[in-house]
Parts: sequence; C-alpha cells; structure tokens
Amino acid sequence: MNTAEHLKIEDLHTYFYSNVKRAFIHSVNGVSLTVNKGETLGIVGESGSGKSISMLSTMGLINAAPGVLQGEVTLHTKQGSESLLKGLDQFVKIDIQDKRIISVKKDLNAWNKQVENNMKHIRGKEISMIFQNPKAAMNPYETIGKQIVEMVLLHTELRNKHEAKEKAVYWLERVKIDSPQWRFDNHPFGLSGGMCQRAMVAMALSSEPSLLIADEPTTGLDATIQSKIIDLLAELQQELGITMVLISHDISVISRLSDNIAVMYSGTVMEQGPAKAVLDVNSDKTHPYTQALLSSVPEEHNLLANGHLKSIDGEVPDTIDIPAGCRFYARCKMKHSGIEKQCHHENPPFQEISPGHRVRCWLRIN
Amino acid sequence: MAFPLLKVSNLKKHYSHKKGILQANKQSDSIIPAVDDISFDLGVNETLGLVGESGCGKTTTGKSILKLTSSSSGSIVYKNTDITLLNEKDFRPYRKDMQMIFQDLDAALNPKVRIRDVLREAITVHHKNMSAGEIKDKTEHLISLVNLKKSKLDNRSSELSGGEKRRVGIARVLAVEPKFIVADEPTSALDVSIQAQVVNLMRDLQNEFKLSYLFISHDLQLVEILSHRVAVMYLGRIVEMGPSMEVANRPLHPYTAILWSSLHDGNQKEAQTAGSQEANWGVFDFERPSTGCRFAPRCPVYLKKGKPSACTDPENEPLLNNTTQEHQVACHFPLG
Repeated sequence: MNTAEHLKIEDLHTYFYSNVKRAFIHSVNGVSLTVNKGETLGIVGESGSGKSISMLSTMGLINAAPGVLQGEVTLHTKQGSESLLKGLDQFVKIDIQDKRIISVKKDLNAWNKQVENNMKHIRGKEISMIFQNPKAAMNPYETIGKQIVEMVLLHTELRNKHEAKEKAVYWLERVKIDSPQWRFDNHPFGLSGGMCQRAMVAMALSSEPSLLIADEPTTGLDATIQSKIIDLLAELQQELGITMVLISHDISVISRLSDNIAVMYSGTVMEQGPAKAVLDVNSDKTHPYTQALLSSVPEEHNLLANGHLKSIDGEVPDTIDIPAGCRFYARCKMKHSGIEKQCHHENPPFQEISPGHRVRCWLRIN
Repeated sequence: MAFPLLKVSNLKKHYSHKKGILQANKQSDSIIPAVDDISFDLGVNETLGLVGESGCGKTTTGKSILKLTSSSSGSIVYKNTDITLLNEKDFRPYRKDMQMIFQDLDAALNPKVRIRDVLREAITVHHKNMSAGEIKDKTEHLISLVNLKKSKLDNRSSELSGGEKRRVGIARVLAVEPKFIVADEPTSALDVSIQAQVVNLMRDLQNEFKLSYLFISHDLQLVEILSHRVAVMYLGRIVEMGPSMEVANRPLHPYTAILWSSLHDGNQKEAQTAGSQEANWGVFDFERPSTGCRFAPRCPVYLKKGKPSACTDPENEPLLNNTTQEHQVACHFPLG
C-alpha cells in the first residue's frame, strides 16, 4: 500500500433499472480511481458519463435498486484504512446469464442499515460534498448560519452553541463572504448564486473533512464569479491541506485546479494521469476523446477554416447495450483501417503508457 | 456597415418595485432600471454579442426588442418601422420576422407534446392555409435542417437530451422563417462537445438564411468567436461596443478588461490588466446605482487614480462616445 493514497476506488459497478426500457443501465462500469493525499483529482466527461454517480456510489448515496453491485472503496484515515462498501454484497443476489444481468434481488432495508453503519463516521467528518446547485442542496427555510452551526455541532468537538456560532462565522469569513456576522442570518434565497456557492463551501468545510468532493461547483455561474470560486477552492485547499475530487464537464475548470485528471466516458475511465500529460494538446499519447474534448472548447485556435468549431459528432451512447469494442468507436475520428477491426470488436485494456498515465485505447497501445 | 436591419435608440425598461403595506410609510416605490438607455444597430446577416454578468439586463433587452415585455421609453426601428408604436395586432406580421431562442428549453417546450405537433403549431400560426401534406413536408424539412433524425418527430420533448431539445427549439424558431433571432444563452448548460455542435448549426443557418442574431451569453469565449461585434453591458448600460476581436484583445473599459481576464486560461490577458484582480467585487445593487459612473465602486482604475471626482460626478455619467466610431466606450479614463 502506498502511504500517500487517500481514497482508492477499484472496479466499481453501479446499475439502475429503467422501467420504460425494461433494462438495466450500467451507469458506472468498472471505474478504478486513486486519489493521493493533498492532491486534486479532476474528473471530466460529458453529461451521462457517470462522473457524479461514481462519486455518489462512493459516498453510499445511491439508494435506488439495484445501485452499487460490485467494487471496493478504501479510505485511508488517521485511524487506519476503512472499506466503505464492506458487508454490502451479502444483501444482494444477482442472476447473471451470458454476462447479462437477468434479475437482482436486494434486501434494501438491511442494505441501507449497513451503509449507515459504514458511513456514519465518514460522511461529514472525513468526506464532505459540494453539490452543483447550492440552492437546492440547502434548506430554504433555515438561515445559512444555522445550517452551518448544525454541521459544526454534529461533526466537530464543539458542543457549545456560542462557540459553534463563532466557528460558523469564521468559516463564512474564510470563504470571503462580505460581513459574515450579518450574512449569518440570511436565508439561501437572500444570497446570489456565487455567494450561495461560497456558503455551501463553508458548510462543507465546517466539519473539517480530510477529503472534499466538489460536484460541478461552478456550473451556472458567471465567468467572473466562476473564476473567483475556483481561486477560492484552490486557496482553501492549499491552506487546509485537504484532498479534493473535482467533477466538471468543463475541461478548462478542471485544468486550472487538478494535479491528476481522469477522463470519463460512458461509465468508464478512458484516461487517467498527471494533468500536464493529459492536457497536452500536441501529445500523441493521449486518448482521442480527451483530444476531442480539448478541441471543442471555443477558442480561436480551435476554429476550422469555415469558422466552425471542432465538435464531437454524435452523442454519448446509452449504457444499456454497451458495444463489445471501444465505447468511443462510433465517434472516434482517429480510428484507421489498420486497427479498426480491433477497435470495433475488442474493448481496449486500461494500460499504463508512462508512469502514472493510463489510457484505454488500442491506438496508444499498439 | 450594411444597411441596419434593426436600430435600437435610447431603449429603457424600468421595473417598479412596490413596497408592501408594512413598508408603505418608509419610502416611495423604488424604480429598478433593468435596461437604462441603450442604443445599437444590427445589420443584415450580422451577429451582435451581448455580454455581461447575470442581472445586468441582457435578457430584458432581448425581450424588450421583441415586445415580449413592454419598453418604458426609446425606439426600436425594424426595417424603417418603429415597432414600439405598433399595437399587438399591427405588430403581428413582424412577429414572423423576429424570433427568440429561449434559455431554458425545459420550460419553453411542453414536455407532453410530440415534437411533430410542436413544429406544426409554429408553422400553422403564420401559414393558415397549408395542407396537411405540405405541413408534413415542412416539419420533416425543419427537423433535417437542425440535423435531427425524422424518428425524433414522434418523441416528446421529455424524451430528448439537452442538445436535442436545443435543436428542436431552433427548428421551431425557423418554422416561421425569421430574419432576426434573439438567442438567449443558447448553449448554457450544455457540454462543450454538444455546445460546439449547436454553435456550428447556428452559424450554418445564418449563412444559409442570411439571419441576424442578437447573441446573449455570459460565455465570453463563445461570444468572441461567434459574433461580429460585441456589446458589453453593466447594470443596464452598454459600457463598450466594437468588433469582437478588438474588444477581446484591446479592451478599453476597465470592466471589459476584468471580464476577459476572468476567462479560465487567460494568463497573458491577466497580465495586461495587472491590478484588476484587486478590484472591489462587492455586491452590486440595481436599486442604488452610485452617482456618476456606475462601475466606479468596483473599478480598479478609479481606485488607482485616487478616486477622481469626475467618476462620481452625478451630472457627468460617461456615455458611449461618438456613434460613428467602430469601437466605442463609456468611460472617463479608458484603457489602452
């Protein structure tokens, strides 16, 4: 075991069942990720690629059946290593024929109880989450101050309400909210989008976690505010020395904060490696999907001669009927006759091409 | 510039904010100047980008031009007719020419109506005498224009993805064969890859049908590459307007400089406006615009120059300078 490892996810599989299509949706399909202590892992990918679901699965927040069916999540805390999904498989019976799931029987009550047991000293205390829409994630009927005080009382040593209030004001100040004493008594609807997101960050950090998961923290904010929130997250991470997992569909946000980047597509990680290596536009080692994502960012050098942006044609395939070959095959512009057959019929392995940099593509392996 | 298709002069839209019963004796009703005296013109086949932070009045401007909300004063001249003076009945023929792509298509499309009916409704509003066969041909033509499969016509909008809904929104607008389209954040909440597809589509359609766009967005990179000219709005006013490359690369107004420097990877641009990061980003409030230049309280130049009185002189709010010039700015101390 590497001592610097903080969170390790191995071969995670999460399913949903679609009543309309009468089929299992394989949302997270064998995701393996490693986050090192004090580092930022950026997870990037289009909507529906399973970024959020893999993190929600890690936190035990997927309630719907069948949910998480397979995988291993290890969190290294000061007290030692902890398996977050332990003992869950005994409550699930899966019937598999021809590598397809036919039915799943799950004892939901027992499952939920076990999740509670596993997670109650982890959520908040060890891992906090920032959600995409702060106004939906907060209680609209309570002042933001009260909500932060609740977190402080629940998760830290403080038991005195006055001290907890001081702590809450301290965190509001820490996230650079103007006049925190006064804002303490504001309701979420009385704050602007950017300020609400700051309050959310304050709330997440007030329980003093060692790992922060930020799910699309800047989506829907103005460019100026977005930039400020990113700066704030970077600054707080440096000062507090926490580990961060940042989820975004915006590769430019990811590139500003991450030490390591994982690119997800259709439920799997297509590429993971140091930010520099993954974002290198001129590299011939990165995944074609990563390159396509980078070149569809609206910037001058990405314009074609006719003034068009380079786009990725087609859409993310649904994860019900997963093709046998590479998932990106249908949209890939770099497949060529030499390897096309292999791409079409065989799923490429997740292979290390340089230290710490792994890619799932036949083109890069051959 | 080409013959202006649309000429907006001194457009104002003031919302009044009524005090409740309990506050009645405190103050009189306050006025919120959402759009405060803006003027611009737009040529045929041209795209004007309108940028600014949320709440600066971009969408209200778009809606006022289309008479979706009444304007308080000012004139909007479309092809030599002042449409502000027309009543709803006389304005009806113009509706066909001027359309809007809405920001939130989940709200703009009925989730239970099939796409075929969404488009048919839009077609028959202005072409009452079309036969069923003609309507069918036209809906199929429209759906192919926006690069969607014909089979999608039988889907309901709740069954479509974000990118597909966006295309249906565009197809519905094209159904009435407009000349001028207000595109309100047409790609917000879309993935970069899908965004690129939608932007490419908009550009193709512009070339094919000689469309003019008023492109409202807070995504500066997108505005920079899609628009011919850009207008930067701040608290209901246009503070800078000019060719998009020039505004992006050589901003004259301190606000524009800060906006562009906040782009994610604008390192070299950030250096240009060194010091702007220390700008005072307090909360801004429509109800209490500062006297004089509205940007002064947040302006780095104002602070650097030791708070010159010209900036806060209530009689001397900076106006966009001479309208014949290509690149205009409303600032006492422009950069550059």
